[in-house]
Parts: sequence; structure tokens; C-alpha cells
Amino acid sequence: MEALALDILTTAAILFVVSTGLMIILGVMKLINFAHGAFLTTGGYIAYLVGAAGLNPWLAVPAAAILGLLAGLVIERTIIRPLYHRPLDAILATWGLGIVIGQVFALTFGRGVQFAPSPILGTIDVFGSEYSGYRLAMLAIAIVLAVALSALLSFTRFGLNARAVIANEPLARGLGIDSANVRSITFGLGAGLACAAGALITPLLSVDPNMGLPWLVNSFMLVMISGVSFPSLLVASLLLGGSQVLVSTYISPILGGMTIVVLAALILRLKPKGFSRA
Amino acid sequence: MKIRTLLLGIGLSVGASAYAADPIKIGIPVGLSGANSVVAPSVVQASELAVEEINSQGGVLGRQLRLEIADDGSGAQGAQRAYDSLVFQRKVDGIVAMETTAARNAGLPIVNRGRVPLIYTSFYEGRSCSPMMYINAWVPEQQVAPVVDHFMAENEAKKFFLIGSDYAFGRGMLQYTREYVESKGGSVVGEAYLPMDGSDWTAIISQLRSANPDALITSTAGGAPNVTLTRQLRAAGISIPYGNYALDEGTAKSMGDNAEGIYIVASYLSSLETDANKAFLEAIEKKFGSSAETPNELSVPQYEAIYAYAAAVEKAGSTDSTAVIQALGEVTVEGPRGSVIMNKQRHASLNMYLGRVAADGSVQLVKSFPKVDPGEQCPQFANK
Repeated sequence: MEALALDILTTAAILFVVSTGLMIILGVMKLINFAHGAFLTTGGYIAYLVGAAGLNPWLAVPAAAILGLLAGLVIERTIIRPLYHRPLDAILATWGLGIVIGQVFALTFGRGVQFAPSPILGTIDVFGSEYSGYRLAMLAIAIVLAVALSALLSFTRFGLNARAVIANEPLARGLGIDSANVRSITFGLGAGLACAAGALITPLLSVDPNMGLPWLVNSFMLVMISGVSFPSLLVASLLLGGSQVLVSTYISPILGGMTIVVLAALILRLKPKGFSRA
Repeated sequence: MKIRTLLLGIGLSVGASAYAADPIKIGIPVGLSGANSVVAPSVVQASELAVEEINSQGGVLGRQLRLEIADDGSGAQGAQRAYDSLVFQRKVDGIVAMETTAARNAGLPIVNRGRVPLIYTSFYEGRSCSPMMYINAWVPEQQVAPVVDHFMAENEAKKFFLIGSDYAFGRGMLQYTREYVESKGGSVVGEAYLPMDGSDWTAIISQLRSANPDALITSTAGGAPNVTLTRQLRAAGISIPYGNYALDEGTAKSMGDNAEGIYIVASYLSSLETDANKAFLEAIEKKFGSSAETPNELSVPQYEAIYAYAAAVEKAGSTDSTAVIQALGEVTVEGPRGSVIMNKQRHASLNMYLGRVAADGSVQLVKSFPKVDPGEQCPQFANK
């Protein structure tokens, strides 16, 4: 029973960490970033390179975040910004970008699987049962991340501007907020979060050029039903991640793999705007 | 001396090709793209080496061998295109195929229509029978017994837990494992599958924990699913005896201490101390130098199958498909895996090796099982 509760909590934590980057870009830019999966993959390869260089595995996370942030700023400036007024083309551009990034990895590192070392090995004793130490660490990281991001949006100048752009972009611009700047920083932030998330999930997985793809689908569903709000993303992760674990445990892991997608479709049918009220 | 033989060889082959008939074309449909693209280069190299060696000794019936390589995309659709092109456009005389089950099944109707002999060289879930096909790789009957017997004898395992990827090979292997475990008086306390692209094994690992088995056997797709499962098992602290049907030497090496203690069963290990294997390893190294791929369980049967085809054509005296099909069941190939003859209902008895992955990722031979019989595979084709 404790194991089941921990499975649910840690699964939700991982889903949350993986989805934040996608959500923040969707919220501010009204853009579904289909390169999100490729950014996760990038984080995975950074973790692999950090491991191959013999550095401390924890270093992979800040390294991925910084590289992702810089890459995000460049990509926003060169690819996304010219397409601001063509939202569908912008989505298509991110999709194409994702394919290009994936192919670059395939050409550089080959199609085979690579490994990144895990910063925490073995298990930790929780309520008398053994549980994977790294999954528990992911739970802590998700909580810290949720608090930090909420604080960023609530207590900083950037957060205020971002919330203004989320609520009503023309009005925010009228008030003198440089919305282009906000968009640019947001894309960088989203890319940085995605790369860091990629580096974080890698110790539980393997690195290959397509590793981000299944996560892109799940994050997309989560963000669709949560709307733009970190608390509701947390709720959505718990609900959908929890259902996935329950279905996998009590019915079949094969159905479990489809749970998130099917539930998301059902929820959107009943509540077309998802959980958070914009 | 060496140079003279080489010149002689060139002279012979030039002389031969000047008046002898066209080369004998061997089609190689292989997954250059898709899931098999990781292993495909080693398979192509093994094929090229075999053809070069045979040609340097004068070819077959005075004719040179020539490879026709086609990408099957590791799946059914690509295989249809590859086989169509090989059989009807490039008009190959024989096909040697290391492919996925889906690709093989897509290709079989085409080789039957074109009447082209096919040797399938990938291990698979068994019981694929076709008038044009021979198979020189292992089937579950040969793979399962060594590891289950070892766990029962050495670890006194009674309760087994089975985990697989949800596809024909994964399910076929584990179904046979279940039957075998039960026939030996053991029990299967859990059997769980994840889709092939699944990477979250959390729920299955929790089930494994609560079932509290004595041993674990997995049959996932190669590559990512296998690696993610192993990593998550290790992260969850699972340390019961662990047999893995999908792990190969190369992957074990790159996984290092994550793979430590895993048992694998193979018909070929690169560490085999036989003269044929040493000569083969040297030849690969010499021909391809730094770009040489490590020979493995899939590339070595491919190498041997090209020799088998050449021997069958030699014996039949022509490339006529009826005669070659007849001869394929009668010729013996002495290769890196020992002597192999495909005389067991189109399959072959094989020497099988139980290996255990050491901390540095190398595979240590634990026990060998000579001439393991493939059992009842295709009763419509009698044993020869």
C-alpha cells in the first residue's frame, strides 16, 4: 500500500517536472511547443555527456538548464519571433525544429541507446519498505520546482509582466510592458526547464534520439487539461499519473500506457477548458 | 607468398569473370533504418566478409558471389518494398535475412511467389514455416531451458516472475518460458507486459515486489525498453536472479555495472575460445579496421548462413531453387558457433552458452550446453 502511494506520488512528480516547460510557453506565448520532446532529449544527451566526462551527475541538471535557456533565447529570436502573427506556422516550425534536433542527435551519437549515471543509487527505507532513492528525490525536486515557479510568477517583476501578458497581451503592451521581451525570456525559460527535466529523468531511462517523444505526448495532455497554472498542473499530474499507476497495477500496464491520453480526452469532453479557469 | 596467392586469386577471379556466367546474387534485406539500425552495420559487415572470403577462394561453381543489400526499415512495409526489389527487379538467386519477425512475415509471400530460397538468421519466437525458408538461429526451446534450469538448480528458484514487451517475440518467449517452468514443477507468480515504446516500469516493478518471486526473466524489445527496465529494477533495489533474453554483449558492455549479474543465453559469445571464432574475429578486424563492428548473436549467424547458401549451391550444382532448398538441409557449416546443419525441420541444433555479466560489463561463460535441439518447429518438414 505504501509502495502504491509512493508510485503515484513519484509518477505525478515526474510528469509535473516534465510538463512545466511546455506549460509556461503555452501560457505566455499561446504556442504549443512541439520541440518540447526534443528539448527533453537534449537534456538527456547533456546528462550523458556529463557522465561520460566523469563529472558529478548532479551537474547535468544546471548544465542542461543553462544550455537550454541560451538555446531557447536563440531559437525564439531566429525561428519563433518571425512567426508571431502566424500561430499555426509557429507550431509547425517547432514540430520541424524537433525533428531536426532529433536527427542531429542521431547523426552525432548514432541511433543506439546511451547511458547517464544516476546521482542516487539504490533504495531508501520508507515506512519499512524499500523504495528507489532517485524517485523519492524526484518527488522533492518537483515540490521545490512548483514552489519556485509559483514564486517566480507571483513575486517578481518578470512574473507580474508574464501574468499580464497571459491575461491580456494587447492591454499589457498598452501599459508599456515589452511583451516581445517577456515572450523571449519565457521561451528561454521553457526550453531551460525542458532540458533540465530531460537531464532529471535520464537516470531512470536510457538516452536515445527519440527519448523525448512519449513524454511530449503526456505533457501535452496534462497541459491541455490543466490550463495555465502551476497548482492545477500539479492536480492534473496527480490525477492522471495516479490513474495511470492504478490502471497499470490493477488492470494491465498496457492499458496503463493509454490511461493519460484517454482520460485527458474524457476530461476535455466534460470540461472543455480544463481545470484552471482563465 | 601471401602476395602471390593474392595475385593468383585476383587473376583467377578476373579470368573467371571474363568467361564464366554472371555472379550469383545474394539479397540481404536488413533494417538499415528503424529499430534494427543499431545492429544492421555488424550484419552487413559479416555478410561482406563471408562473400569476400568465398570469392577469394574462387567463388561458387566458378561464379563470384555478389551482395544486393536492401533496407527493410525494420518493419513490414519496408520489407515488402525490399523483397519486391530484390526478388523481381534485382533478381537475386538467394536471400539471407537478419530481420524482425514483422519484416520476415511480410517477405515470405514474396519469396514464395518468386521461388527464392531464404535463410533467416535472427533468433525469433519459433514455428515460422515456409517451403522456401531455412533458419539457423535459436528458437525459445533452445534459449529458455538453460537459464530456467540454472536458476532452479543453482538458486533453488521455484517462483518465477516474467516481464516483457508487448509484441510477438516478447509474448512468444514468455509463453514458452511459462510452459517450461510449469513443466519443471515451478510456478509463474506474475507475467506483465508494457507496450514496445513504454519506458515507465513503475507499476510492474511494484507488482514484482509484492509477488516476491525467486527469479526474474525478461523478454523485452532490445535497446531502450530493455535498458530502462534494467535501470529501474536496479534503482528499485531488485536483486533476485535475473535472466534477460534481449540483452546482447554490446549493450551489456555499455551498461556496465547496471547489467552486473544478469544472465544471458546465447548461441554465440565473442569470447568463445575456438579457432574458428578467433580466425573470424581477426578477419573482421583486418577487413574493417577501426570501423569494425563487434560480432554478435545476429551477425555471426548471418556470416554462417552465407556459407550455408554457398555450400548448398555447390552441392546442388546450380542455383535452381528446388535443388538448393533440398541441399540447404544437408550441408554443414563450420563457423564461429561450431558446426551447424539445418536439418531439424528447417531449424538447427545449436551449442548454447549461459553467460553472466560481470561488473565491467563483459560476459563470463558460466556453462555451455552442446547441441541443444530446437524441438518440434515445423513438423511438415521431416528431420533429415
